[in-house]
Amino acid sequence: MSDLRQQVQRLVVDTSACAGHGLCYSTSPQLLDCDDQGYPVVLQDLSSEHDVQAAEAAVIVCPERALTIEPR
Amino acid sequence: MTTTEKAVPEHLVVDFDIYDQSLAQPVDNVQQRVAELSAKGPIVYSTAHGGHWIVTRYKEIHEVLRDPDTFSSYPNNLVTGPAGMGKLLPIELDPPEHTGYRLAMQPLFSPSRMKALTEQIRDQVNELIDDFAGKGEAEFISEFAHELPARVFLALMDWPLEDAPLFTEATDIILMGKPGLNEEENQQARAAAGFEMFGYFHKMVQERRENPGDDVTSTLIHTEVELEDGKRLLTDEELYRMLFLLLIAGLHTVQGSLAWAIIHLVNNPEQRRALIEDESLIPTAVEEILRIEAAVVPGRRATRDVELGGVQIKEGDQLILTLCSANRDSDEFDDPTELQLDRHPNRHLSFGGGPHRCLGSHLARIELSLALEELHRRIPDYDLVESDPPILHASQVRGCMRLPIIFTPTA
Ligand code: SF4
Repeated sequence: MSDLRQQVQRLVVDTSACAGHGLCYSTSPQLLDCDDQGYPVVLQDLSSEHDVQAAEAAVIVCPERALTIEPR
Repeated sequence: MTTTEKAVPEHLVVDFDIYDQSLAQPVDNVQQRVAELSAKGPIVYSTAHGGHWIVTRYKEIHEVLRDPDTFSSYPNNLVTGPAGMGKLLPIELDPPEHTGYRLAMQPLFSPSRMKALTEQIRDQVNELIDDFAGKGEAEFISEFAHELPARVFLALMDWPLEDAPLFTEATDIILMGKPGLNEEENQQARAAAGFEMFGYFHKMVQERRENPGDDVTSTLIHTEVELEDGKRLLTDEELYRMLFLLLIAGLHTVQGSLAWAIIHLVNNPEQRRALIEDESLIPTAVEEILRIEAAVVPGRRATRDVELGGVQIKEGDQLILTLCSANRDSDEFDDPTELQLDRHPNRHLSFGGGPHRCLGSHLARIELSLALEELHRRIPDYDLVESDPPILHASQVRGCMRLPIIFTPTA
C-alpha cells in the first residue's frame, strides 16, 4: 500500500458520467475547481498523503461515481 | 400496450397516490407510507392516475435517472403533461435535444455566478428576518420560506418584486390544484394558471427585448444557442417554457426545504446546538436537510419494454421516483432515518441525477446555507407552536404551506 501511495497519482473526471452536482469541488476545493458550466476542473496532482485523502473524500462523495484516482 | 393492473403481481399493486392530501394532513406521513412501499420492493404499481409505477430504492432510481434513452423525462408529471401547457424546457426534453438548452442555461446558474450573489441574498435573508425578529413569532412560510426564493427569483430575472403574489398563487395551483375541485376542474384551473403565467412572461420578454439588462431574462433572450437545428436565438415560446420551469422548480422546493430544516432541527436539539456553536457544519448540514426529506418526486416514461428491479415495464408506462425513499435507503446510508448534520459521504438524490440533474442546485444550496446561518445567528431558539402545528402537503413537489414559530424576540 505504501508503495502505491508514493507513486504520483491524479484525480480523473469521467466527463460523460459527471452531471455537475458540485459535491466534489465543495468537498475538496484544494484539488478541484469548477468551470463556468459547473463541471469540475482538476487543479493538481496528488503529491502528498494529505492530497490523496482529500481526493478519496471527493471520489466517495460523487453520486455519479464520476471520479477515480489513477496513477499518473 | 402499456401495463395494466392485471399484468402486475398482486403483492406489488398499491393504491398510493402522491397527490392524496391525507398523506400529509393532518399529520405528514409521506415518509412512512413511502417506506412501506419500499419494503414491498424496489418498484411497485399504483392504480392512481390511470396506473403508474413507483420506484422506491436508491439503486433503481439512480439507474432510471441515468438512462434517459429508456426513461424519458416527458411527461415529468402525472397530472399536467399533455393536458397542460406543453413541455417544460429543458427538463421535459431528453438528450440530444435536451443538451443545447441545458448548456445555454447552466452558466446562468453556475457556482461562480451564484457565489457572486451571496451578499445580495444574505441581505434579502436579513431584511426578511428584520420584519419579524422583534415580534418573537412568525408564520415562517409566508414571512420567510416562501418570500426568500420568490425574491431571489425575481431579482435574478429582474422582474418587479411586487409581482411575487401572482407567482405564489399560480404555482400553488399548478403544483397542488385547488382544494375542493375534482380532477377535471383541477386540470382546468391548472391550465388557466399556466396561461396567466405565460401572459406575464410574454409581457416581460417583450419589455426586455427592447431594454436588455444583465439579468437572466435578458441573457436568455439575447444569447444564440447551439440547438439541433443550428445556432439561433430562442423563440418566445421556448423562452416562456424555460421561465416557467425556473419558476416551478425554484420556489416550492426551497420553501419546503427551509421548512423541513426548522422542523428537523427543532426535533433534534443537540444537532441544532452543534450547528449554532459551529458554523462550519453548515455545508454538510444543508446536504443532510436536503437528503432527509427530498421535496421532488420526478416522473419518467418508459420508451421501450424493459426490466427494472425484477419487474417487467412496458413501453409507454409512466413511473414516479420517490427520491425521499432513495435518500433513506439503508443500502446507501447508515442510520438513514437519523439526521446527522456531519454526514459523509452523503450521495443524496434530492437534486436528481444524470443529465436532468437540478440546474438550480448551486443556487438552492446558497439560499439554504445563508438562511441557516442567519436564522441561527439571530433567532437560534425558535420552536414550533404546539397548538398550531405545521401544515404540510403531498404532491410531486412536497412541501410545507404553513409553519408558525416562536422564539425570543431580538432587535
Ligand atoms: S460530484 Fe461527481 S457529478 Fe458532481 S460535479 Fe463532481 S464529479 Fe461531477
